[in-house]
Order: sequence, then C-alpha cells, then structure tokens
Amino acid sequence: MKLDPSFIWEALVKLLPVIPTSLLITAVSVLCGFVIGTVAAFIRIYKVPVLHPIASAYVTFIRGTPMLTHLLIIYFGLPLMIDALSSQLGLGFRSASIPMIDFAFIAFSLTAGGYMSEVVRSGLLTVNRGQIEAAYAVGMTTPQAIRRIVFPQAMAASIPNLSNAVIGMLHASTLAFTVSVVELFAKAQIVASTNWKFFEAYLAAAIIFWGLTVLIERVAVFLEKRVNSYNRGGVA
Amino acid sequence: MIKLTGITKSFGRQQVLQGIDLQVEKGEVVVILGPSGSGKTTLLRCINYLERPNEGRIEIGDFEVDCGRASKKDIYALRGKTAMVFQHYNLFKHKTVLENVMEGLVIVQKMPKETARRRSVEVLEKVGLGEKLDAYPSMLSGGQQQRVGIARALALNPEVILFDEPTSALDPELVGEVLAVIRRIAKEGITMIVVTHEMGFARDVANHVVFMDGGVIVEEGAPRDIFNKPREERTKQFFKRIMPEPAYSI
Repeated sequence: MKLDPSFIWEALVKLLPVIPTSLLITAVSVLCGFVIGTVAAFIRIYKVPVLHPIASAYVTFIRGTPMLTHLLIIYFGLPLMIDALSSQLGLGFRSASIPMIDFAFIAFSLTAGGYMSEVVRSGLLTVNRGQIEAAYAVGMTTPQAIRRIVFPQAMAASIPNLSNAVIGMLHASTLAFTVSVVELFAKAQIVASTNWKFFEAYLAAAIIFWGLTVLIERVAVFLEKRVNSYNRGGVA
Repeated sequence: MIKLTGITKSFGRQQVLQGIDLQVEKGEVVVILGPSGSGKTTLLRCINYLERPNEGRIEIGDFEVDCGRASKKDIYALRGKTAMVFQHYNLFKHKTVLENVMEGLVIVQKMPKETARRRSVEVLEKVGLGEKLDAYPSMLSGGQQQRVGIARALALNPEVILFDEPTSALDPELVGEVLAVIRRIAKEGITMIVVTHEMGFARDVANHVVFMDGGVIVEEGAPRDIFNKPREERTKQFFKRIMPEPAYSI
C-alpha cells in the first residue's frame, strides 16, 4: 500500500464542511465550562458551606476519570433519568428525540468545567490581596471588588492556561464521534470508508486540527499582548 | 470627629489590641508611633474594617457602630466615610492613573463620569501628576504610585484618611516627595491618622501623637510633649533607640 498524497487533498476538501461542527462543540463546551468552572472556583476559594465539598468532589471526579467516561455517563445515564422523570410526570417526552450532539455539549461542558475551575482558581490566586483591600478601602462591596478589580486581573493572568484548555477541548471534541456526532474525525472515517485510504483521511484531519490550533494560539498571543499592556514599563 | 472606644482584636490566641480608646478631632493630624508588633497598623485597619475588631465602638461623625455586631451595611457605611493609603500603594494594576482615582467615585459614589473625571484630574494635579493621567501604575516610580494612592483617597472626600506607613516601601530619595504631598493636604484641614516611622514628619505635621506598644496606647499628647519630655519609661526607650544621641560631640 502506498501513500496517496492527492487523496489527502481530496479528503481535506471533504472535511471542510464539518469544521463548524467541531468548532461548535469546542465553543459550547469551553463557554459553558468556563461558567461552571468559575462558579466552582469561587465556591472553593470562599469555602461556601455545603457547596464547597460538592464542588471539590466534582473537580476531582472530572479530573480523575477519562473524558470518554463523562460522555458515556451522560449518553447512557441522562436518557434513563429523563425517561423515568417524564413517565412519572406524564409528560410524554422521549429522550430519543434529543439530538446526539446535545449529549456531547452537556458532557464536554462538564469536563471543561472541571479543568477550567482550576484555571480560574489559579488566576484568582495570582491577584495580590492588596488589590481587593484597596477596592474595599474605596468602599466597594465584595461583588463590585471581584467584578471590577480581581476578576479582570485574574483573567489576564489566566490567558495562557485558558488557551491551553481551549486547544485541549478542540482536540477532545473528536470523542463526540463515539456518540455518532459527525465531527472532523468521524467525517474522516466516512470519507475513507469508500476507498480504505484511512491514513490519508486522518492526515487531512490532523492538518485541519493543527491549523485551527495555530489560529487559537494566535488569538491567545494577541489577547495576552493587549490585556497585559498594563504590565509593561516595569519601573518598580 | 472620630472616637474609638475599647477596641480589641486578637489573631488566634494573640491579643493584638487590648482595648484602645482614641479620640480624633476634625482636621487633626494624628500620628501613631510604636515599635513593630505594637498593633498600630492593626488599629488603623480596624477603623475601616479591613480587620474586624472583636469588640468596641467606632464613631465617625454622626455614624456609630458596635463592632461586636456590625452588619455588612455598617461596614460599607464605615468604609464610605474613610479612605486609606497603603504601604505598598495597592493601585489597581489594570487601570490607568485616572481610572484608579475615578473608580471609587463612579462605582461607589455613583458620581456621573464627567464630574468624576473633572474631580479626579483636579486631585491628580494637586499631587503633581496631572501629566500622568493615562499611565499605568507599572510605569510609575514608587513615589509617583504613592501620590496616586493619596489622590485616590483624597478624591473620595472622606471624613478621614488613614495612612498605613505610606513611605516605608519607598526608596529613601522618594520619601520626600510623598511627605511633601501629605504635608500639603494636612494644611487643608483634612483629618488624617498616620502610622509612620518618619519622626521628622511626626514632629512637624502632627497635632497629636500617639505612642503604642503591646496593643495599648502607652502615651499620647502634643508632639512637643511626647518628643521632648515623654512621661513613660517605654516611650523614652523607644525614642532613645530610634533617635540615638550622637556618639561624638562637635
């Protein structure tokens, strides 16, 4: 068997239309994950009673189990729960009507949330205690101080870690193919299934992933430069 | 007028303030002196509740709070009447000089942006930084940063400004410019409570000097009396140690 370079190109073109699917899965999981992660991080930093151990357990479970597990738990577990609930309440709603991609959205958001909570938490911990004290001293309430002073600085410090998380989720979005979502990886398999040129198809997918990753890296560098302009100068 | 009554504070088992009573008249400059660990910074931080006192009363103007049962609302009210200048400046790193000063006016005092801007520029010009409005704190020298810190406090128009060792983190050659600014605003009749080790400043600017040690006020009074004829043995020792007699005579 020989490598067929022209098929790499052919596969590449055929893969292009599913790029939005991969990006959508990544975007949804990163955005929802960021919200979940931020909430979890604040709960843990402020040691909110009752919720604090729950948030810690969530983070260690997510980080302690493979992402595929999360997807399968949601994929198999959620329908059971929904159908049981629906029949008990007599709603007539069937889990079968839920689009497959929604399971990926939910599962990956939970995954991203676990990792993001550590990203956000480490960002928050980089902000000097004096910053929030100064905010209090000018009369701000705790929510004002966090929103206006602490959080923006924490985010600026977190950009490298955040971009890492986004790239990780982009690559991990390939797992959605296990629940029959046609993203880049699944599409590569479909494209190759007619002529068995799997290697070429996967190479094409790899090229696209790399390209998207470079794009994300560029955005991160741009943001980092812009956001951290206040750290330039460095006179004391 | 500010009146503290029976302020106590402990960190764990260690009692840092053992019942402080202090009265500050309007327009007075009070300097708190004392060896490190005497509780002077803690006392200052109790006045705006950056530290929560265990017991005591704080009165500022007609506002009064019982520290044992202060609500969030009380704490915010107290902070609204005070402003603080920090040892390490604590300027908002991600905001420009102008934004640093405007922040409290716009967000806390709900002043319209244009008014806040005008007020901030005016105060920044007063501390000699009218040229630096758009600079970020990281681009400024320590002395400039501390002057922004003073402007930020001054702009709020508080009943009292609390200075927590405002020159301790500065290079010696930058101390002068900051002290000059503090002197100037002291002359405008703004009530100030200053924790410092600058004896010259205390002697010239203070109306009232408080000497603390071991969590209590050992002695207080007019600077002339405290510096020239301290009554307590502890105070004498302290001055002797920090202002030693010259070992030689000319």
